[in-house]
Amino acid sequence: MVLSLRVMAPNRIVWNSEVGEIILSTNSGQIGILPNHAPLLTALDMGVSKIRSGGQWSAMASMGGFTMIDNNRVTILVNEAEVSDEIDLVEAQKDYEVAQMELAQAEGRKRKIEANLAFKRAKAGFYLLLDSNQ
Amino acid sequence: MASSQIVRNRMKSVKSIQKITKAMKMVAASKLRGVQVKAENSRGFWQPFVALLGDHPDIESKKNVILTISSDRGLCGGINSTSVKFSKAMFTLSASEEPAKYVILGEKGKVQLQRDSKKNIQMVVTDIQKMPINFTQISMIADEILKNVEFDTIKIIYNKFGSVVSFLPSVATIPSPEVIARESEAGGKLEQLESYEIEGGDSKAEVLQNLSEFQFAAMLFNASLENACSEQGARMSAMDSSTRNASEMLEKLTLKYNRSRQASITTELIEIISGAAALEAAS
Repeated sequence: MVLSLRVMAPNRIVWNSEVGEIILSTNSGQIGILPNHAPLLTALDMGVSKIRSGGQWSAMASMGGFTMIDNNRVTILVNEAEVSDEIDLVEAQKDYEVAQMELAQAEGRKRKIEANLAFKRAKAGFYLLLDSNQ
Repeated sequence: MASSQIVRNRMKSVKSIQKITKAMKMVAASKLRGVQVKAENSRGFWQPFVALLGDHPDIESKKNVILTISSDRGLCGGINSTSVKFSKAMFTLSASEEPAKYVILGEKGKVQLQRDSKKNIQMVVTDIQKMPINFTQISMIADEILKNVEFDTIKIIYNKFGSVVSFLPSVATIPSPEVIARESEAGGKLEQLESYEIEGGDSKAEVLQNLSEFQFAAMLFNASLENACSEQGARMSAMDSSTRNASEMLEKLTLKYNRSRQASITTELIEIISGAAALEAAS
């Protein structure tokens, strides 16, 4: 029994194949999805989701979205997503440190919110690579 | 008989119009190629929503909002008039205790609807196409609409791109979170929603709210892209028929010009010859 997974961003299909297991990060914690899961509808937070396909774990950073699970069909709709082999480690680390600094220095509510968002994005991308490189 | 000078001036202007419309057609064709790819990729994005929630244009709703998508620039055939006609029909159909409200995207729609429905227009967004359409921009517009407009359902009216010669006016219906919650109870139209465990928020209502907002942004994204494709396609065919008309006109004018030129040459010849003949006869 396998799960058929589709991950879609507004401008492209990020993933479309059969997988064995998925670990999603929602804003109430991480959820593991195995075949024959009950129908589920959940919001995804900005973070890293892990996908096991053929014994290999891949990681995917997503910038918020929705997951629908029904009948072994998993549909994940995201604002933006990147799979681990598409990101460059050095750049991701740089982005992370820059975003961290900007968050510490942000003044004014608007800039704080922007910096927070940018930080979360960079963090997701960076942790994604840390995970996949371990 | 028209003077040959006037006809020649007309020919010059028709020729330049022909060149301009031909160029506009090429520009529209190349823009179409770019937007078409994006539109097709975005179709997969809203399909899961329809698979989950279905499409219920007849859902019960008191506060109706009609979102008309139109173009900012003209010379694109009849697509804007079609959208406006459709919107007005939807407006009459969805009359309930409260009259429906319009939200308009695009200058051309605003101009046409302002003429007779000015008091029902709640919000207008123009100049969307200054930058290529992307999801972030559309999410912001969707956010603004959700903040400022109260609704039970939003009906998005746009021209779906079938092919370069076919644009179908279409309606996408988006229910509000409260309506989704109401209809997902037993006996409602969204009954199948109850069979899903709902997680990811503090409450089911919060998740449904996020879902409805996301669905709205996704549908609006696809609808804007489809309308942009239809706009370019319609402009291509409008400019094409314009170029053809200009060529026909040019042919007719050329014939007229030649006839008038030959007539004036003949007149001159007759004068010269009759003058010469008169001189001969006199001598």
